[in-house]
Amino acid sequence: MELTRTNLTYQKIRSRISPRLALAAGLVALFVAVPLAYIFIRAVSAEPEAWQRLFQERIWKLFGNTLALVIAVTGGALLTGVTMAFLTERTDLPGKKIFRWMLAMPLAIPAYIGGIVHLSLLRPRGGVIPQLLENLFGQPVPTPSPLGFWGAAFILTLFMYPYVYLLSGAAFRTLHASLEEASRIFGRTPIQTIFQVTLPALRPGLMAGALLVALDILAEYGTVALLRYETFSSAIFVQLSGRYDRSAASVLSGILVALAIGILWSELQFQGRARFTQMESNWRPAPLMPLGKWRIPAFLVVLGVVSASLLLPVGVLLVWSIQAFLDPETMSMLFHTGSQGFGTYIWNSLWSSSAAAVIAVLLSLPVGLLAVRYPNRVSKFISRLCQVGYAIPGVVIALSLVLLVNRFLPFLYATPLVVVIAYVLRHMPQAVRASESALNQLSPSLEEAARMMGRTSLQTLIQVTLPLILPGLLAGGSLVFLTSLKELPATLLLRPAGFDTLAVRVWVWAGEGFYFQAAPAALLLVLASALPLSFLLRREQIFK
Amino acid sequence: MQTSKKLFTLLFMMALLLSACGGAATAVSEEQATEVATATESSTEAATEAAAEISGDLVIYSGRSEPLIQPVIDAFKAKYPNVNVLLKAGSNSELANALIEEKANSQADVFITTELLTVQSLVAEGVFQAYAPAGVDQIPAEFIGEGNLWTGLTRRARVIIYNKDLVAEDEVPASIFDLTDPKWQGQVAAAGSTNGGMQAQIAAMQQLLGDEATEEWLNGLIANEVTFFGGHTDVRKAVGAGEFKIGLVNHYYYHLQLAEGSNVGVVYPDQGEGEIGLFTNATAAAVVNGSKNPAAAQPFLDFLVSAEGQKLFAEQNYEYPLLAGVALKEGVQPLDGFHLADVDVVKAAANFDAMFDLIERVGLP
Repeated sequence: MELTRTNLTYQKIRSRISPRLALAAGLVALFVAVPLAYIFIRAVSAEPEAWQRLFQERIWKLFGNTLALVIAVTGGALLTGVTMAFLTERTDLPGKKIFRWMLAMPLAIPAYIGGIVHLSLLRPRGGVIPQLLENLFGQPVPTPSPLGFWGAAFILTLFMYPYVYLLSGAAFRTLHASLEEASRIFGRTPIQTIFQVTLPALRPGLMAGALLVALDILAEYGTVALLRYETFSSAIFVQLSGRYDRSAASVLSGILVALAIGILWSELQFQGRARFTQMESNWRPAPLMPLGKWRIPAFLVVLGVVSASLLLPVGVLLVWSIQAFLDPETMSMLFHTGSQGFGTYIWNSLWSSSAAAVIAVLLSLPVGLLAVRYPNRVSKFISRLCQVGYAIPGVVIALSLVLLVNRFLPFLYATPLVVVIAYVLRHMPQAVRASESALNQLSPSLEEAARMMGRTSLQTLIQVTLPLILPGLLAGGSLVFLTSLKELPATLLLRPAGFDTLAVRVWVWAGEGFYFQAAPAALLLVLASALPLSFLLRREQIFK
Repeated sequence: MQTSKKLFTLLFMMALLLSACGGAATAVSEEQATEVATATESSTEAATEAAAEISGDLVIYSGRSEPLIQPVIDAFKAKYPNVNVLLKAGSNSELANALIEEKANSQADVFITTELLTVQSLVAEGVFQAYAPAGVDQIPAEFIGEGNLWTGLTRRARVIIYNKDLVAEDEVPASIFDLTDPKWQGQVAAAGSTNGGMQAQIAAMQQLLGDEATEEWLNGLIANEVTFFGGHTDVRKAVGAGEFKIGLVNHYYYHLQLAEGSNVGVVYPDQGEGEIGLFTNATAAAVVNGSKNPAAAQPFLDFLVSAEGQKLFAEQNYEYPLLAGVALKEGVQPLDGFHLADVDVVKAAANFDAMFDLIERVGLP
């Protein structure tokens, strides 16, 4: 608190905003705002007939479908995430050190890859498990289907809960022990304390996490398409590959983005309040809760979650990959498309995601500097505008970019650069948040000193600010890299011929039913995502 | 700080390593290509020399899915080793959308589609340039676009595949209209509204039966809990595995599933007196207007129409080649014996929009 007040006085003294900085931040905001604005313009200017038709036939059903999935998965992720965090942070669960890692790792597995694995295992009658059971008992045994609403909700929960788990895990660790002690002194049982004190104290952080999950579900394409559950995103995708008319897709996109912006707005509200869960100097770890006779059941529950979301998908991919490598025909026939080979896919994935990470971090700098060093309404607006990427699903960004680039920047059309731009737009919020939090931790007095010693503002930025916030920027960049690597719908729609990424190959091969071919690409994708993820986890001091 | 630096270095090195692997893999495939080239050179030197002069990128937009076009591309590459083929496979209408979008800024050299309605409706958009491939006179005139704007390649029939373990031969529906019979509720699989074969069938039915009857049929399918997949490969695999009893597919999916060892059977539907007849689609190829590499696009079309290319379609994918004199793969029933639905492609293409309207109206997934 004290520090913030000093910050404010500083900012009052040096309230003259550098015009160059303001211009740079403004340009970044413009870059982000144009595709968004364009979609709304297209949606509004669509023929009334298209609106009418869609409202009569599609929109209410899509609305219901999408909302039901958002609620189910967000609820599922909250329940799973908080339970897992509580068990690994606050109890004497056996093996909790290794579980802490394993519970976070599903973030490296794109949900559609998890879906492909679960589908191949559980598909009614055709899946591995139903067939095993049928062979065992000599007749078909009913098994839960991974298709449709419940399947999609189940699988998305499995791969989304880590968001909530990480946030609540950190909160459980940093929450002041005295809060809970006070509750116990006043006669609450440990269980009552959890529900009446601990969880309410964690609520802002949890809400922020849950709303991020909700935004991800709105944007999700691969998993729902695979499991044949229709949401706004998948309906837009179908529209785009259907009739020769973009107006219906534009209308659906406009509605989807409006919905997402509503969720993002509430998330930003909670973001502000989430700061209360901070460590203070007299912090000490809360005592562990003995599980007693519940140790084994709790262990099994955690093991079950880890198996379904990490061990099983990776294990199956590994087995398939080995089978692919053992079969020479698969190796020679299907490891290439056109004239392209497997190496090209790896290279395309790596360079496009890295480029997106670097660009997003560079663009986030002026926005972060302006918002943190000169907080006022305009800079706050710019910062929030730059977070709107969270609310624009990949299909919508793709639609907007196809129309915009082809009309106004035809020389860029059908180049891999458009794919990179899509990644930047979609994942810029992560970079902006990382830059802002890094700058928030850096006292402006260091920069002041450099200025007083006669450095120009640019010199100060390069010689003082950047080296000090570099770790934070790297974290932001890693996040952008990680999420770009997994990105599917925008890449599918925007890729020029011959520009296939690992994610695209997994999707296309799996779509043709060639799981053995898809597996090595999927496994590589998971490994390439696991590296930046473990870097992030270590950096955030979540695990030591 | 220290750990993060180390990790970043590690990450960076990993990236370098991976890209090095990438380079190595490309090098190997180039080597293979040269090997193939050397082998070909020794056989027909003069032709290869001319072929070697053709080079550059050849961008192919293919409505035929990757595994159904890759063998042909491989064979073409063996003849023209210096052409760098860039393939983008997708649904016909998705690629047609891209072609229209790119009219002023064309990216593709060749477009391949799995039915004639898309290619015909694109003619109206002025997307293609005329080219008469060598040997085109050996292809029936009805499968050549007006002014040589497109060339037909193969035909395929819309058939019913069934799992013989689950359905007795005398029980199998003999008409596509039986698929709406409640007897089959929840046991039928088909391709969804993004699939070209399905789209073409719906458009053809609209022409022959009118909107109302077609809508009734589609609504009947939906009411009968037919499962609509993104593509036919899923359908054939699901029927092969017994997940569904019957499926509506193109005929070669039956042969492909049979070749995988499944116990499946096939029905060429609607053959009775007064019935609508068998629906067929033709695949076609065209050179895109504004193609940057017509020197490679034209020999590619020549190759697709050549005996060698047609044989690949027939042998590898059990299709009906359009080039006279190319034999059917063993086991494929010749089309001559069937009563075919009589569809006017040009008319159907002109009403293409009505098909999309209908799909939207009934909410076909």
